[in-house]
Amino acid sequence: MTKTPELIDALVADAAPVRRLRPPLLRAGLWLLLAAFVLGLIAIAHGVRPDLAERLRQPLFVIGMCSALATGALAALASFRISLPDGSRLWLLLPLPTLALWVSTIGYGCLTDWVSVSSDGPAIGEAIRCFATLLMTSVPLSIAMLVMLRYAALLRAFEVSILGGLAVAAVTSFALSLFHDLDASITILVWNLGTAAIIAGLASLFGRSMFNWMAARLMQNPMRPAARR
Amino acid sequence: MAAGPHNPNTFLTLVPGPQADKSRTTGAGEDWAALMALAQDGDRRAYRKLLESITPYVRSLAARCFREPTDIDDAVQDVLLTIHLVRHTYDPQRPFGPWLVAIANRRIIDRLRRETRRKAREVVLTANHETFADPAANHSAGTFDEARLAQAIDRLSPDQRRAITMLKLNEMSLKEAAAASGRSIVALKVATHRAVKNLRRLLKQESERR
Repeated sequence: MTKTPELIDALVADAAPVRRLRPPLLRAGLWLLLAAFVLGLIAIAHGVRPDLAERLRQPLFVIGMCSALATGALAALASFRISLPDGSRLWLLLPLPTLALWVSTIGYGCLTDWVSVSSDGPAIGEAIRCFATLLMTSVPLSIAMLVMLRYAALLRAFEVSILGGLAVAAVTSFALSLFHDLDASITILVWNLGTAAIIAGLASLFGRSMFNWMAARLMQNPMRPAARR
Repeated sequence: MAAGPHNPNTFLTLVPGPQADKSRTTGAGEDWAALMALAQDGDRRAYRKLLESITPYVRSLAARCFREPTDIDDAVQDVLLTIHLVRHTYDPQRPFGPWLVAIANRRIIDRLRRETRRKAREVVLTANHETFADPAANHSAGTFDEARLAQAIDRLSPDQRRAITMLKLNEMSLKEAAAASGRSIVALKVATHRAVKNLRRLLKQESERR
């Protein structure tokens, strides 16, 4: 077994200058910029939904979109804050109000539009395009989050993955409402909440191991050569 | 005090009050913050000073949760390694104490959890678990007499004695032993082979004499 003074020697020998992390607000802003960039690319490639101008006149739709976006932004900020060792656990509560608003607009829409659910549902082609948007938004954003917060593997992997997953899920849901006209309320419910639940669920299930995997690749452990001996 | 001022049996114990404790940690904390800021810029001397001065504090945190000295040592090393890996997350504008304590607590709790999980599925083997049907198999420790072996090693030639001490007793690799003794690997191998042969002979002779 290595003795503590020997460990200190190894750590000191490995003490190259490090770049301090930028403030969490700035890092969350960078992540959101990346999200805006991804959404912009999809908008150029796919185009926004045809009835967007009309839908933007409906308060419920606007509130739903805004609260999804706000949930994404606040969850991203909270995950960057809570990933710091001395960040307060109370940051977990930050996205809750907008999350409640977002979920309630979906639920309200579902209640009022219940009768309008058509039996044939959306066309299968649209569903596939929807799924493509989902992957194109959530995969790069999740990877960016994992890379930016890799050090959280050692500290608070669980909390950070829940918040990070929520941020990705909310932005993805925003993208889905922006690009696809799936208006049957039950479909919205399934797509939006279902996607959010799946992403957040995957994040909390595999977040810790994904963080560890990412951290093992990107962070240099000075004791690893010693352990192999 | 009920015992009165002149009672010779009254003992005074100095206990650090909450105020004193606080001022001490904040004082040290400021020092540590400056050292960490220097360490982030690559100042190895400051880094060593920081790690050496926080070790006793981290040890005291670990000692609250673990009893075995080896467990405490492991926890301290785990905390130091984590601090090393996440040292870029420290912001010199903020106090160092809470940053350190948060990391230490996290690692200690993780370690406690792992320990609990391990204990739930592993059983420590006692001497009873090692009882075999063949009685001779249970006395491996008894038949192995360290003193006899040490005497036999003393009777070897100096060359063979050095080879067997380095390679078998100190468990050095052939390369390390060759570097330490200045002899070639082949010579060491030959010396060890002969030493083992001689030891076997010496121990056999001795047991026959008994």
